[in-house]
Amino acid sequence: MKNLKIVNILVALLMLLSCSDDFVYVDSEDQNSETFFNTEEDYQLALVAAYDYLQTMSKFYQFGEIASDNTLCGGESATDSPYIQQIDDMIHTPVGQSDGGLRTMWQWMYEAVNRCNYIMEFQDKTDFPNKTNVIAQTRFLRAYYNFVLVKWWGDVPMLIDERIQFGDQFNIDRTPKAEVYALIEDDLIFAAANLDNSQLGTGRVTKAAAQALLGKAYLYQDKFSEAANVLEDLINNGPHRLLTSVEYPNLFERDWENNIESVFEVQYSDVDGGSFDCFQCLEGNYSVYFNGPRGFVDSAGKFDAGYSFNVPTQEVVDAFEPGDLRYETSILDIEQYIIDNPGSSYEEDAGYEQTGYFNRKYIARLGDLNIGDAALTNPDNYRAIRFADVLLMAAEALNRGGISDTRALTYLNQVRSRALLPNVNFTGNNLTNAIYKERRVELVGEGHRFFDLVRTGRAAQEIDGFVAGKHELFPIPIEEIELSGGRWSQNPGY
Amino acid sequence: MRQIFLKILTLCFFTYASGQNIDISGTITDAESGFPVPGANILVKNTTKGTVSDFDGNFTISDVEPGSTLSFSYVGYLTYEVVVNDNSSLNIQLEPDIATLDEVVVIGYGTQTKKEITGAVSVVGSETIEALKPTRIEQALQGQVAGVNVTTNSGTPGGGSTISIRGVSTNGDSRPLILVDGNVVEDLSVVNPNDIESMNILKDATAGIYGVRAANGVILITTKTGRKNMPLTLEYNGYIGFQQTTREIPLLNATEYGIIVNEGYAAGGSLPPFDDLSVLGEGTDWQDEVFQTAPITEHSITLKGGREKSSYLYSSSFLTQDGIVGGNKSNFTRYTNTANYNLDFLDNFKFKSGLTLTRTNKRGLPENALGSVLFNALNMAPNIPVRDENGEYSLADGLGGEVINPIAQMANTYNRTKVMKLNGFGGLSYNFLDHFTAEANIQFNYAEVTTFSFDPIDFYGIGKVFNTVTNGAFEGFDIYRDYTFDGFIKYENTFKDAHKVNVLLGTSVFKTTGVLSGITANNIRDNDVANAQEALINDPEDIYQERGSNPKFDGRLLSYFARLQYDYKGKYLLSAVIRRDGSTRFGPGNKFGYFPSGSIGWVASDENFMSDSNFFDLLKVRASYGILGNDRIGDYRFVSLLNGEGTYFFGGNDEEDQIFGIASGPIANPQIKWEKQKTLDIGLDMRILNNKVDITTDYFKRRTEDLLVSPQISGLLGTGAPPFVNAGVVENTGFEFAIGYSDNFSDDFSFSVKYNVTAIKNEVVSVSGEGEYLEGGGFGISQPAISRMEAGFPLGYFIGFETDGIFQSQEEIDNAAVGDVAPQPGDFRFVDQDGNGVIDLDDRIDLGNPIPDATMGLNISLDYKKFDFAAYAFASLGNEIVRNYERNQQLVNKPNWYLDRWTGPGTNNSAPRHTIGANGNTVFSDFYVEDGSFVRLQNVQLGYTFSNDSEDDPLFDKFRIYVSASNLVTLTKYRGYDPSVGNGAPIGGGIDNGFYPSAKTFLLGVNVKF
Repeated sequence: MKNLKIVNILVALLMLLSCSDDFVYVDSEDQNSETFFNTEEDYQLALVAAYDYLQTMSKFYQFGEIASDNTLCGGESATDSPYIQQIDDMIHTPVGQSDGGLRTMWQWMYEAVNRCNYIMEFQDKTDFPNKTNVIAQTRFLRAYYNFVLVKWWGDVPMLIDERIQFGDQFNIDRTPKAEVYALIEDDLIFAAANLDNSQLGTGRVTKAAAQALLGKAYLYQDKFSEAANVLEDLINNGPHRLLTSVEYPNLFERDWENNIESVFEVQYSDVDGGSFDCFQCLEGNYSVYFNGPRGFVDSAGKFDAGYSFNVPTQEVVDAFEPGDLRYETSILDIEQYIIDNPGSSYEEDAGYEQTGYFNRKYIARLGDLNIGDAALTNPDNYRAIRFADVLLMAAEALNRGGISDTRALTYLNQVRSRALLPNVNFTGNNLTNAIYKERRVELVGEGHRFFDLVRTGRAAQEIDGFVAGKHELFPIPIEEIELSGGRWSQNPGY
Repeated sequence: MRQIFLKILTLCFFTYASGQNIDISGTITDAESGFPVPGANILVKNTTKGTVSDFDGNFTISDVEPGSTLSFSYVGYLTYEVVVNDNSSLNIQLEPDIATLDEVVVIGYGTQTKKEITGAVSVVGSETIEALKPTRIEQALQGQVAGVNVTTNSGTPGGGSTISIRGVSTNGDSRPLILVDGNVVEDLSVVNPNDIESMNILKDATAGIYGVRAANGVILITTKTGRKNMPLTLEYNGYIGFQQTTREIPLLNATEYGIIVNEGYAAGGSLPPFDDLSVLGEGTDWQDEVFQTAPITEHSITLKGGREKSSYLYSSSFLTQDGIVGGNKSNFTRYTNTANYNLDFLDNFKFKSGLTLTRTNKRGLPENALGSVLFNALNMAPNIPVRDENGEYSLADGLGGEVINPIAQMANTYNRTKVMKLNGFGGLSYNFLDHFTAEANIQFNYAEVTTFSFDPIDFYGIGKVFNTVTNGAFEGFDIYRDYTFDGFIKYENTFKDAHKVNVLLGTSVFKTTGVLSGITANNIRDNDVANAQEALINDPEDIYQERGSNPKFDGRLLSYFARLQYDYKGKYLLSAVIRRDGSTRFGPGNKFGYFPSGSIGWVASDENFMSDSNFFDLLKVRASYGILGNDRIGDYRFVSLLNGEGTYFFGGNDEEDQIFGIASGPIANPQIKWEKQKTLDIGLDMRILNNKVDITTDYFKRRTEDLLVSPQISGLLGTGAPPFVNAGVVENTGFEFAIGYSDNFSDDFSFSVKYNVTAIKNEVVSVSGEGEYLEGGGFGISQPAISRMEAGFPLGYFIGFETDGIFQSQEEIDNAAVGDVAPQPGDFRFVDQDGNGVIDLDDRIDLGNPIPDATMGLNISLDYKKFDFAAYAFASLGNEIVRNYERNQQLVNKPNWYLDRWTGPGTNNSAPRHTIGANGNTVFSDFYVEDGSFVRLQNVQLGYTFSNDSEDDPLFDKFRIYVSASNLVTLTKYRGYDPSVGNGAPIGGGIDNGFYPSAKTFLLGVNVKF
């Protein structure tokens, strides 16, 4: 009996020495996402994270340019980044789009939309004076990202005001494009009504940016009068103007970031390092380096070298009228540059599909910190919406909507005269074509051309390999269809 | 108390018998050392009469009938029997038993003799470690134990290894649980192999006693300690030696290079760059420049001894090793100091303790990646000298963004990782009521890891990704702490001399915490590494604080376990284990799990019908089955945390404009729970020919279910790291066979040979959803991932195009299926697997995998008079390696087999033409997959012992001198540096980006014992 007692005591002692199950219930030192949004600062910090994905535009505007007839893919070889080589040749498919292709871009945009919706999900949790402003910025960003989605893929799953949780992804259908546009319009109308222009130049969303994007969204739907209204309101009452002809050559230089012509600008920086492992983590604008000439040594000390992607075609070079101020700023003719700047050189044979031209607006400049991977950490901002774009959009809306060719002509000629080109005097279809032509040369290298051709029905005639009824939209990556329950049909033709 | 002690030791025999006759007394000593053997059992055979020797090895046994047999036994010695005549004084010398059935094997919270074991447990003893002289203990496992495969991750000094026990069972972390004296150890580089007494590898359900962490097997390492009643001994072990690369890859010399490059340019329609090939000559041999002969030195001393109730050990060691690449730029230095002390407060109340302080200092160079040192040595153009006419390092212009001058790269690399680790254990055991033992042990680790790197301003050529215009320094300081507390009670008894019962009941608590910190500084004065510290102190940027990220972690495990061991007359054996584990890694509904396992054994050779035949010294059949767990995923993956990246700039591009936002991190899955492994083992142990031949063979099947995979998920969920889900099944089915033969032919000559072979078939049965797969493993530049985990294939198989020779003419091309890039004569003809007339991604097939079909080890040792000789060989068969150290750029150098390239119709049907123009030859195909099978002579050693026979020379007891060579010969068809090296990743392993090869090492060493 005594033995039993001792055993009992020992077992009890053992139990005492050990812990209760509570021992393995510990909270992480990291904040739980369900218990956030308790102060204004929480909202502001979540909003910063929603802005973060604007920086993924580096890839979008580069791909948009390569998809068009403005540039060839280039790069090192025919197998360098196959997905973008294929887009250039209009032979892209839903397959092989991971790791930097269309699937990556799709994922980025949904991360971005989810970050906005995270704020929206908790918008009523805590009150503070600036909240409407925070929500207005959030809704602008959501509209910006959704607009990218509809431009690239048409009908897309539309997520509203809440994050999606793991497991939800199998029950979401593609929403008709028109409904997504309706949300974009709602968001932008709210943003335009609740923001002002006091934050001009900081990288924050302004009323003007919301108006410009709203006008663009209308134009993409051929809603010409709505587009004209909002864009003319911005032109007449907004804070922006074109840079002068004297100022213009500086438009894409670092010292002129967030200038008065820039209606909305994506901010990049060189202070953080970066690696090829996480493109969405980059703070730099990687595509400017990718666009540069291989092995470029610039004796003038202005340009950095690059990976020879996104090279302009002779056709787009020829689209510039003689005397066009914009040519020198838009196109780098490498052979000419080397002649003009003795001691300069580049590796002529090192790249694929080289034309001798480079996208001068968005190639890397020398002089940044080059921390980490120098190719990925360039600080050159992307001028996402310029006032010249606004003027040309307004002109197009006024002309194509049959509202006023006179006012359309005024806006068009503002752009032309800034480029030191003579005024034109067209009406009707001729004016439409003149606006189209002006858009191409004004905005070359900025990623708009492909979508302009598609929305105006001209892509098949302008882009080699473009199949009407198919290539207006990009394919939904095969994995995305499979991993969302296989309930979506593929875009036509793929 | 003393009596209780005696009682325990003689429990089985201790009953009183009446009698008369004579009293016998004497001394028992160790036949080798002459030291007394205390605690030895003395038994009068066929009676229950017995005693044990005392502290001085003395014994007295009274009342023994003349003519009866006395049996003297002690763990670790051969049992000695003597027939009693009228001699009342006996001096017995016990011979140490090198491999007896009574050999004690550590099985987790206890020990068993080899004979009693019912699981698949292998032991590597200190003699193996001493013979192999590994700098890391993983090296002592390679080829020694069936079922254990060790892949060296890098040949760099102090480089890690990946141990896999019985195949790769998971796509995640498949490392086994490693416990050193009960202490969890993740980084084996801090352990001095000299301190290790034995390594016990639990390969099957026996590991179930470790529950949720046991699925990948468990390695129990026991360190050396002194023995009671042992005079103070001092041992010195030391060696010096040098290391060389095992191989250089034959490359083109400058003239050959010029010819090939010109050809490539011409084929691509460009002007050949070299006008005059005659000036190129041999050029620079970059591999010769990069590789060097590097020294290695180790010294260690061990002091140990024991008194009547205590034992102690102190050891101290110093190892320093330069690298064959970069010399002291990849130096690894380790200091270890260990002390342990055991004390019996009372005969039934014992204390043990140990404390180890280790410091390591490791420097490293970029390796096994695009742009790493060896990658550059292979790709750097041979027409470029190391230094230009001004004495500056030459630039690597024109060779692509990643290829730079490797000598300049090494010169500009400054990094080091310092580890200071203190670990220890303390334990008490109390023996009571004859049959009970209570034990409480605490183990702890405390490590400080300091990393430093300096990236100077440097320029390697135009457009190089490694160019730096702003220098920077980083210093990290991480603290890791953990402790394990184990408490358990054992009950041991034998009923009716036949039923032996052993019950264990215990609890274990594990907690690991840590704090990470790091600071960076830029614009270091004078671009000088010497000023880096100053900048880090004066103008630091805290990478955690500033970003609002959390630098702390806290992981815990709470466990209860019970084990029943039972045998009937040592013939029928049974063991059953159940463990309950709770882990912080899983959410509220899934924190706790139960892991049952069991095993049975039958010692057939003890049956009467077999005991007549003397053929089998041992014949044992055993089987085990159990459910084991794996929880090796990160912490808190069941809850959505705000630890994502979300940074933006407002008001400018500068540091002060940077705002660190808050975003969700990895995607959470509240449902996750541990991986479950159902493991079956059927084994046979056999000893024949008077224990001279020892055979162990096992069949096993390990089925891992609820695999913790991190599958691709819908992009709707965003870019956070995919959640872990329990989906997927992997099966490893295999067969192990080990045979050993040892014999002492005479006093002057003994010989032993051991051979083991393991064959494993690995198959992924399913991965999350239908048709889904996980992928990894990069190839070339921006090509799709080539390694996959997919149902029906081995884990991590390579997917790519199958080639069917080379197109010899345009006509052949016109009649063949082609892909996006139109081929020309001299390009690969790919097989159109689906017959759709187009070569596309659907035509990719299984091109092999990095998992060997079979591995085997062969160990031979031979002692002749004062010479000893040992040789160890290892072979790996049937694994594939992907050659990914070629840059595929027009001006880089190439292996010299390119000289046999296709140059016109009929010239070659396997190596394509050389061109800088558009071609599809660089896409991943079987052209880049090579057979990685190899046989390697891992170590050969020859020693000579000067024994100290004369009494008048007090200098030493033993003096041995030896020479040793490691990695002397490797037979392989693999054309890269080292087929034995791999990154060990389950998905993405076996891709060679310029592995740092294992060194060929020559040592001259001494062992002295005072």
